[in-house]
Amino acid sequence: MSVPILEIRNVTKSFTRGGETLTVLRDLNLVVGEGEFLGIMGPSGSGKTTLLNLIAGLDKPNRGDVRIGGQAVSAMNEAQLATWRTRNIGFIFQFYHLLPVLTAFENVELPLLLLPISAQKRREQVLNALDLVGLSDRLHHRPGQLSGGQQQRVGIARAIVTDPTLIVADEPTGDLDARSAVEIMNLMDELQRGLKKTILLVTHDPRAAEHAQRVVHLEKGQLLESAPTEAALATAVSAAQ
Amino acid sequence: MFTRIYQQLAADWVNLAAALLAVVIVGGGLAYVLLQPRLFLLGLKNLRRNLLRTMLTAVAIGVLAVMITTIWTIIYFIDLIQTERSKDLKVIVTYKWSVPSQIPMNFKDYLDPTSPGLLLKLREPPTDQGKPLYGKDDFMIWSFFGGTTDPQKITPDTLIFFFVMHPDQIIPMMDDLGDLDPKLVQAMKEKPQACLLGKDKLKAINKQVGERFRLTSFNYKGLEDLDFEIVGVLPDGRYNASALMNMEYFNAAFDKYENKFKAPHPLAHKRLNLIWIRVKDRDMFDRIGGVIEDAPEFNQYPVKVETASSLIGSFLESYRVIFMAMKFLLVPGMLAVMALVMANAISITVRERRTEMAVLKVLGYSPNQVMLLILGEALFVGALAGMLAAGLTFAFFNGLWGGIPFRIGFFPVFRIPESAFLWGLGIGAVTTFLGSAIPAWTARSVKVSEVFSKVA
Repeated sequence: MSVPILEIRNVTKSFTRGGETLTVLRDLNLVVGEGEFLGIMGPSGSGKTTLLNLIAGLDKPNRGDVRIGGQAVSAMNEAQLATWRTRNIGFIFQFYHLLPVLTAFENVELPLLLLPISAQKRREQVLNALDLVGLSDRLHHRPGQLSGGQQQRVGIARAIVTDPTLIVADEPTGDLDARSAVEIMNLMDELQRGLKKTILLVTHDPRAAEHAQRVVHLEKGQLLESAPTEAALATAVSAAQ
Repeated sequence: MFTRIYQQLAADWVNLAAALLAVVIVGGGLAYVLLQPRLFLLGLKNLRRNLLRTMLTAVAIGVLAVMITTIWTIIYFIDLIQTERSKDLKVIVTYKWSVPSQIPMNFKDYLDPTSPGLLLKLREPPTDQGKPLYGKDDFMIWSFFGGTTDPQKITPDTLIFFFVMHPDQIIPMMDDLGDLDPKLVQAMKEKPQACLLGKDKLKAINKQVGERFRLTSFNYKGLEDLDFEIVGVLPDGRYNASALMNMEYFNAAFDKYENKFKAPHPLAHKRLNLIWIRVKDRDMFDRIGGVIEDAPEFNQYPVKVETASSLIGSFLESYRVIFMAMKFLLVPGMLAVMALVMANAISITVRERRTEMAVLKVLGYSPNQVMLLILGEALFVGALAGMLAAGLTFAFFNGLWGGIPFRIGFFPVFRIPESAFLWGLGIGAVTTFLGSAIPAWTARSVKVSEVFSKVA
C-alpha cells in the first residue's frame, strides 16, 4: 500500500436514542493509502454514513482516533474542523445538495470563498473544475435548470475545486438513473486515475463498487475486507505491464 | 437638516440611542459587507429565493415602522415641550387664580425691559440705573382674540383664534418662527389690520394672501367688528391652525370702544393674557420669578411664574395616562409582537434550510459564518424596510399636512422629526435582530451528521 492518507484506529461510535445506547461502529480499524479508491458497502443501518461522517469530521467518535494526512481529526474543535474541511475534504452527496439560488459556477465557487486566493485564481479553479466534469457550457445554470446527472457533476466539481486530500462520496449514484450513474462513476475513475485523488465511496450499488480498487464491508460495526475488485486487478495488471 | 438632526439627538435620549444604534448597525453592516462580501451576496440571493415571503416580511416591518414613527412623533414632541430646559428658559407670567389667565395690560410695563416702569429689582445693581436682567428680544406679551367670520353660522371653519402680539416679538420669541420672513413682520407693522394665518385656517375660511375678512369677536363682546388683511402664511407645521394679529390694532379696538361708549370695555382692564420672558438659566429664572411674585405692584391681581414646559404639562395633564400607555405599553407591545412574528417567519426559513446550513458547514463554513448569514439576511431586510418606511412616513405626513394631523389641545399637527429615519432603522433592525437571534443560533448549531442521516 502507498503512504497512508487515512488512518482509523480502534474507533467506536454509539448513539443514545430513547434512553437506549446503540453501538454503530465497534473498535473499527481502517487504513487508506494515498491515491486509493476505496469502496465501503454494507446493509442499511450498518454504519456506513456514520463512518463517513467521522472521516469528514462531521461527527466525533466516542473512542479511538481518526487521522487524515497525519492530523487527528477527532481532536479538533468545530471552528478548526470547518477550516480543515475546506482544504482537506471534498464531499459528494447522494442528493447533490446544491444551493438552489446559486448558479453552477457559484455553487462550485462556494468552498473557495473561504480560502485566501485572488478572484482571478478562484475563477480559474472553478472553470477548471467545471471543465473537468464537462459542464463548461452550464456555468450560469441554476440547479433547477440542470438534470440529476448534471447536478451531481456540479457536486463533484464543488468537491474537487479546493484540491482536497480526500474525496468522500456518499451514495453518489443513489439518486440517478443507470446511464447517469455510469457517467458519474466513470468521472470518479478519471479523478482517481488522472488526478490521483484518494476516494472513499459509500454505496449500496455493486456496479458502482466495482469501480473501487478495494471494497470493505461494514457489518455489525465491523469491517470485513472483500476480494480485490476488477478495477483493482486492472490497476495491478497495468502496473505490472 | 443636519443641524436639526444634531439638535434632535442632543435633546432626547431616545434619539441619541437610535443614533448610536444606527452607527452600530451601519458600521456592523459595512464591516460585514467588506469582510464577508460573498456571504453578503449569498444572503441577498437567499432573500430572492422566496420573494413573496421577503416582501411580506419587509411590508410587516414597514407597517410597524410607520405605526411607531407616528406614535413616537407625538410622544417625542409632547416630551420635548414638557422637558425643562437648563438654558434659555421661558418664564410665563399669568394670573394666579384662574384659567385662562386675564391680567391688566399695564402689568407689561413692570416687566418690559424697554419700559421706564420696569421693576427696579429686575435691573442689575445699582438697581435704578443698571441694565435690565433681560433684553427686549427676550420679552413678549400675548392676548387672545377669538371671533367668527360669520356670526350667523358659527362653525369651526368660521372661527379664528388670534395670538395678539407686537410684530417685533414674533421672530425672536415665538417657537419655530425664527426663520419667518422679516418682510411679513414689516407688513404687520405697516398695516395694523394685517394678520398672518396658518395654512389650514386660510383654507378653512377660503381666503388667500392679500384678501380681507371681517371678524366678530366672541371673547370680547361689544367690540366693533375688526377688519383684517391677510399679509402672509405662517410656516407649515404647528401653526397651521393659528393666527397672529397686531397688538396695536387690538388695543385700538378698546380705545374705539371707550370713545364710543365713554367708558372702557368691561374686560379692557384684564385683556392681557400672558407675559413671556426668556432667561439664560435656572438661577435667573428663580431670581426673576421671586422678584415678580413678591412685587407689591401685582398685589391686586396676583400673578404666578412658571416655565413654558410646566404650563404645557399642566394643560396636558388630562392626556397623561394615554401618553404613558402609548409610551410604555403600546410601543413596546408592538415591538414585542413584531419580534415574535419575525422569530416565527425566520424559524420557518431556517427549518426549511437546515440541510443547506449543513452543506455550508461541510464545505468549511464555520458555525459563526452560518449564524451571520441568517442574521445578515434578517437585519438587511429589517433595517432597510424600517428606514424606508420611516422615510416615507416623514415625506407623506410632513409633505401633505406639515406633520401628523392629530389635534391635541393647541397642537394641530405633530411634525415628524428628521431623526425618525434613525427610529425606522432602529425599529427594523432591533425587531429583526430579536426575531432572528434564536433561529440564527439554531442554524449555527445544526448538527451536520443529524441532518444528513435524516436526508439519507
